[in-house]
Amino acid sequence: MTEVEYDVIIVGAGCAGPAAAKKAAELGLKTLLLEKSRTPGEKNVSGTCLNMAALVDPDLHYLMKGPVEREITEMHSYMITPERTTMFRETPSEGLILLSIRRDHFDAWHTEEARKAGAEVRLATTVVDIIEENDAIKGVITDKGEKLRAKVIIDAAGVNSIVGRKAGLIPKRKGTDMILYVTVNVHLGEKLVTERFGNSIYYFLAPQTQYKTWPWAFPKKDVVTFGTGGYLDDNLFKDGINSVNDYMQNLLDLPVIKEKIKGGKIASWGLHLEFDEALERRTRDGLILTGEAGGFVIPFLGEGMVEAFLTGIYAAQTAAKAIEANDVSAAFLEEHFMEYYTGNVFLQSFRYVADFNKKSILSMPDEEIAAMMQNVCIGGGFISNAIHYNWMKGADEDDMSLVQEAKDFYEFIQPYRQVGSESVEIYKKMRAEK
Amino acid sequence: MKVEMKVDYYPGDPGEFVRVDESKCTGCGECAKFCTRNVWVQDGKIFRPKNLKACVECGACWNVCEFDAVIFEEPKGGTGVRFEYG
Ligand SMILES: Cc1cc2nc3c(=O)[nH]c(=O)nc-3n(C[C@H](O)[C@H](O)[C@H](O)COP(=O)(O)OP(=O)(O)OC[C@H]3O[C@@H](n4cnc5c(N)ncnc54)[C@H](O)[C@@H]3O)c2cc1C
Ligand code: SF4
Ligand code: SF4
Repeated sequence: MTEVEYDVIIVGAGCAGPAAAKKAAELGLKTLLLEKSRTPGEKNVSGTCLNMAALVDPDLHYLMKGPVEREITEMHSYMITPERTTMFRETPSEGLILLSIRRDHFDAWHTEEARKAGAEVRLATTVVDIIEENDAIKGVITDKGEKLRAKVIIDAAGVNSIVGRKAGLIPKRKGTDMILYVTVNVHLGEKLVTERFGNSIYYFLAPQTQYKTWPWAFPKKDVVTFGTGGYLDDNLFKDGINSVNDYMQNLLDLPVIKEKIKGGKIASWGLHLEFDEALERRTRDGLILTGEAGGFVIPFLGEGMVEAFLTGIYAAQTAAKAIEANDVSAAFLEEHFMEYYTGNVFLQSFRYVADFNKKSILSMPDEEIAAMMQNVCIGGGFISNAIHYNWMKGADEDDMSLVQEAKDFYEFIQPYRQVGSESVEIYKKMRAEK
Repeated sequence: MKVEMKVDYYPGDPGEFVRVDESKCTGCGECAKFCTRNVWVQDGKIFRPKNLKACVECGACWNVCEFDAVIFEEPKGGTGVRFEYG
């Protein structure tokens, strides 16, 4: 059994891990990145769409040089009832709205970037336990029995992280905090994907295709990823639905989808949990939880990759500060980590929007959700919904505090709303540099 | 198009990374209900992860067991489920 000392050890090379490792190495820290898969992105991970509004953050520009499957410029939403199908088409910004990626390519590229920056990377290495001494986290133990020590451990091991669980920060979760998603990738070939899906993403709201979530179709280069599922509670299975696969079957059987996937073949299937609330605590002495391990996902929108990248970077910066100050206490880590986090307008505004919309969705029956979705589409998206709803309700009920809340939020997100053509310029520049 | 659970696995033995704590299992069956891969099977008064080969490491069973009877650990490095496309 060997004992090596690092400045930071990062567990998991998904989204948050390589971002943290790259930043830590750039800051001159002796960095080790551990990943259980043979190729990063091949284990139980998912996610297709990178939000351009977030990538405009200078910390994330380099990600635009990664392997991109498709440049997404539009969004379509379908409301389907037994009587009729309504389709909304939205082009929310002047430029690119999302970049579609496949994780098995993107994570591998990102991990290589971390290695190039100077991080040591070990693949096919599973962390099975933590080293805890005097109430502080001092290192990790791998499946090969190695004990690896570091001043700060960064947990980037995703929703089921064994690090966060062993450290007592990740509890068991059910109900409206946890969503079980099933995905299938339908192979059509690049030509048919372009003809039938174009550079648009699609959301569907139809009976028996979901439980309190939004089924989607995200085109990649030669496949289209379909996803659906629902909250992990007792109502997930009822009315003839016995498995999330039944929701998926009903989704693929919708006439609008059936037509589009004709002649295609299921290339792969996946099953994932996604946690959608913030954890109470994200730090212990010597430990920071990032990405999905820390509950840094955007509830309701099912978006978490950019939150993972950013919190990974912030954790590395926090570790550097802590090591310099010779103070890796939970209090120090929490203070500086949260300072970076709350300073990011994108993260704050999306959290607000997501919390707001999740609340509406949980309290409404499907027909009302469809109506809300309709308003959202006409009004220009979930952000408008969050602003309009409080504004109108406040005006209706003569409650100025609601109007004020809407106004404050509107002003707060102005820097974010100006993202448009700028993102395309940065994207072009980054692709050219690549 | 019929939904088909097409998944790959790395070669190699992942180990017994999902287990039941026999002394805690009440036989409530929640693990089996929420396991899309039918890993959990009733065995007398309790449930066991008998078809562990089919596990995709989603973690649903661990999260839904209210009696702390599901032991959910990690497969050995470079083994277990392998996803394509993400
Ligand atoms: C179906 C679905 C669709 C989604 N779609 C989107 C989307 O379109 N856009 C978006 O922004 N977000 C999306 N998300 C959310 C997004 O996938 C997550 O928020 C994001 O992947 C979190 O990144 P992470 O780095 O925290 O964890 P992960 O990406 O889960 O990475 C964790 C890494 O740690 C490794 N690991 C785990 N345990 C260990 C261990 N013990 N030892 C060593 N390595 C370990 C894993 O193999 C993995 O590589 C989606 C989520 C789901 C479930
Ligand atoms: S959920 Fe837990 S207690 Fe219930 S049968 Fe499964 S292992 Fe046993
Ligand atoms: S981790 Fe998921 S697939 Fe594996 S046994 Fe548990 S519920 Fe079933």
